[in-house]
Amino acid sequence: MKRTRILLGAGLTSLALVAAGCSGGDADGPVELTFWHGYTEADGDVLEGIVEDFNASQDDVTITTELKTWASIDDTLLTALSAGEGPDLVAMPAERLPVYAARGAFAELDDFYADEASNTANLVPGAVDMIEVEGAKYGVPTGFVPLAVYYNTALFDAAGVTAFPETWDDWVATAERLTEDQDGDGTPEQYGVVLPDHATVANGLWPSLLYGNGGDLVQDGKAVIDSPENAETLQYWVDAINDRQISPTGVDGIGADELFSAGKAAMTVGGPWMASIADENGIDYAIAPLPAGPQDQAASAIGVSMAVTVDADDDARAAAEDFLAFFLDDDNAAAWSLGSGWPPLRTDVPADAVASNPVVASLTEIAPMGRPLLPGVVNSVDVLSAVDELTQRAVAGEDVATLLADAQDKIQKALDE
Amino acid sequence: MSAEQSTTRRYRPPAPLGGRRRDGAGSRNAKALAFLAPALVVIGLFVIWPMLSALRLSFTDASGFGREEWIGLENYRTVFTDPDVFDAVANTVWYTVLFTPTAVIAALALALLLNSPHLPFRSFFRTALFVPFVVSFAVAAFAWSYLIDPRVGLLNYWLRGLGVQMGDVLQDPDLAMPAVAFVAVWKLFGFYFVIFLAGLQDIPTSLYEAARMDGAGPWSRLRHVTLPMLSNTMAFVLVFAMIAALQAFDQIYVMTGGGPYGNTQTVVMEIYESGFRKLDIGFASALSYVLLIATLLLSLVQFVFFGRKEKDLS
Repeated sequence: MKRTRILLGAGLTSLALVAAGCSGGDADGPVELTFWHGYTEADGDVLEGIVEDFNASQDDVTITTELKTWASIDDTLLTALSAGEGPDLVAMPAERLPVYAARGAFAELDDFYADEASNTANLVPGAVDMIEVEGAKYGVPTGFVPLAVYYNTALFDAAGVTAFPETWDDWVATAERLTEDQDGDGTPEQYGVVLPDHATVANGLWPSLLYGNGGDLVQDGKAVIDSPENAETLQYWVDAINDRQISPTGVDGIGADELFSAGKAAMTVGGPWMASIADENGIDYAIAPLPAGPQDQAASAIGVSMAVTVDADDDARAAAEDFLAFFLDDDNAAAWSLGSGWPPLRTDVPADAVASNPVVASLTEIAPMGRPLLPGVVNSVDVLSAVDELTQRAVAGEDVATLLADAQDKIQKALDE
Repeated sequence: MSAEQSTTRRYRPPAPLGGRRRDGAGSRNAKALAFLAPALVVIGLFVIWPMLSALRLSFTDASGFGREEWIGLENYRTVFTDPDVFDAVANTVWYTVLFTPTAVIAALALALLLNSPHLPFRSFFRTALFVPFVVSFAVAAFAWSYLIDPRVGLLNYWLRGLGVQMGDVLQDPDLAMPAVAFVAVWKLFGFYFVIFLAGLQDIPTSLYEAARMDGAGPWSRLRHVTLPMLSNTMAFVLVFAMIAALQAFDQIYVMTGGGPYGNTQTVVMEIYESGFRKLDIGFASALSYVLLIATLLLSLVQFVFFGRKEKDLS
């Protein structure tokens, strides 16, 4: 009998353990917020500093940060939120925000934006576009920076290039000059530039090139990729890559970083992280805007946005908004920019406030040419994979017109979903 | 033999320790239930309940954040009309064709080889072949990604030494699928190998002796003794290999992410992308159910087919 009781006890205990999954919150004391972000480098330290300052500045709210990689935030946020165990505040790549917002994961912040005390009046407009979904605002930007060219000054000097190219033709000619096939086997050992043709940075690079010739991916909710301008642009760059061998093919953003940091590519296109990668690898670099295309000089921006989740109750939401206002105030806007190496998120931060960081200074100069990537597009996953397919196949030599027509259908389908 | 059989006594269970108690069936059932309770709770909570939830979700437009509407069969309609799903099914079929026969034939061939008593270091080889199965799929996928990396990969380095250029296999639209299928073969065939080995050892040697007396050569013995006697094992291995193929995900997620341009996007990758990237949990659940039913039907067909063969034998 005793054993039966023990066994029954074991069964009941396992039930009880399972039931213990739900827990109650504190009634009194400060509001506790959790904040997930993926700033792992020096930028993370600065962000932690801002959070600590916020916690110290008042007694009502305590924010605890949880550091994750950007990929794992995206992988775990859905399950965490659906289990009610999600963060109250979360930062994520800006192009991922619309899908979460459209599915009801984030709190709408229109009232927050309407309030002058929120310090949102002078935010960079392109950055704000990325947190807008169907006319409502769902977060605040924590980063917005146009892609830029990071170039190896030692290799430029060695090839006798004194001025950074300002037009596409110049750019290709310079890249060709910097491309070296030392052993004459037809495969260069050093490339003038590395232009990734799929994933991450490529998803921003190719739209930037399309902008340069007056093209775009999506306009007013319609796919506009199949245009004569875009066909011209693609053909121009495919020829430069394949015939003039200015860049390796089949490379993604990470591969591009590797080639640049190994000194095997004189120029790469990327974001502020390239500055630290170059420093780590002892490469002398400078930053320049993407050279102008025939119609325009523009670059797709990399954005990070921060949102308040549905797991935050009314108190938590108000507390989170307090923090967002604090994060965007005069001092922190400048401090965050300096510490993260990204240009200021507010247009009214004076240039001399960030002059002490040369990377920020150069990026701030080119910030106005940054364009948001697929703002408000909920299904950015399928749009970007259509762009990936387009650029990869084009670089592999397939017919540009057919590819653009395919991409047009796929993107329109993704937008219609 | 027959003398022994006639004297066999009817089986009587041994007396329980502590003497036999006169408790009724009810109490015994309660005891059984108590023994089963921990497992039942775990299975109920982590298998049955999620399955039922997923079934319910498949009729909704749920995102996972609470706001959801009943949309009837809409998700199932999409499953059977969406070209992305067709592509994923075609990719999965291609993967199954690449993976299943290769893994099963490799496992069977090596099991036949290592079943031979004359082979030196037999236990070493048996262990070595099983080791990949113990490695986690993600680890195996990362390891292979590095091995075949065109820039830093050892395999490419060695091949270059021989004057062969392999290129970036995972970026090649034609080679990416064979590459991820190969990793699955490498990782999983050890398990099938062990099952085959066990099956081979169950075949009475008398059958081989008889076959040899009848003048059967090695090929005949394989065709007429080994393979028919293995048909149960074969059914098991084939069903398991096919299920593994239909559920291909881990190494694809790690190595290609479904690329290049969707060429390794299997059904499970599509489910993952719909659920966790596009946050369309309803559709992902519907697609999961369709996959479940397809897998079930295919397994049934195989069991019936091999079951009939076995019956023919007896």
